[in-house]
Amino acid sequence: MGTTGVFYHPSFSRRSYLTVGRRLADFPGAIEPLLARSHVLLCESPRASDDLIRLVHDPGLIPEVEADPL
Amino acid sequence: MGGVVEAMRRVAAGELANAFAFIGAGGHHAGRRSFGGYCCFNDVCIGIAAARRLGLAARVAILDTDAHHGDGTREIVEDDPAILHACVCGTAYASRDGTKRDLAVAWDAAADPDAAYLAAVRPVFPALCRAFQPDLVVWYFGFDGHRGDYGDMGLGPACFRGLADLMAEVAAEAAGGRLVVVLGGGSRTDLATALIPPIIARLADAA
Repeated sequence: MGTTGVFYHPSFSRRSYLTVGRRLADFPGAIEPLLARSHVLLCESPRASDDLIRLVHDPGLIPEVEADPL
Repeated sequence: MGGVVEAMRRVAAGELANAFAFIGAGGHHAGRRSFGGYCCFNDVCIGIAAARRLGLAARVAILDTDAHHGDGTREIVEDDPAILHACVCGTAYASRDGTKRDLAVAWDAAADPDAAYLAAVRPVFPALCRAFQPDLVVWYFGFDGHRGDYGDMGLGPACFRGLADLMAEVAAEAAGGRLVVVLGGGSRTDLATALIPPIIARLADAA
């Protein structure tokens, strides 16, 4: 049996998705029974570097997003 | 976004059998030079680019079941024949090479919306994947089409459970089980709490 990874960061539960701040307020508690399985691994989502973003996006998009009030 | 990239890398590398990635902001509306629709950077496309840079996952199949069209993703992968991008939309479309598809739901007021939605996906996406032979399958999972959310399509939990079963089966058949589920739209806490755990459970059962 392989491992299922669940990528999560506590900040997602404080303010997740820009439309509604706390849609993930119940996580990771809501998946605690699943995380008790030996082959389900909770992984903290790392911060992505600007280098990764520039693999796809125009470099000018980064400061535009950073300046957005949302 | 970093979690999506890392999930895709680790599944493509065989370190994980499959993965679910929560997100802090959306991705599929972000194009190369644009952002909006509550999406900042295109997490899935960045994940593909990062995996490819490492020599992983040259061919990727994406099914987008968010209530709104994945226009940013489509713009980015439009000319990439090694990306199969299927989006469940209001209108049907197929690119000349068949790797870009919009799957229209045949809504019928008398029919069960869950059944109608699954009927748009089930006969098409598995066959596309079998022919495409992806190294990795990505499900862009928005629950905003659930009844009472902002993209209300009348869908219920059975639709999302059905999609989870279908995607696990497709990944097993076409990509050695390598499936990454990326959270998309959806706003309600109660729906997130009800709909997400069964999908992670399905991944765990398939691992």
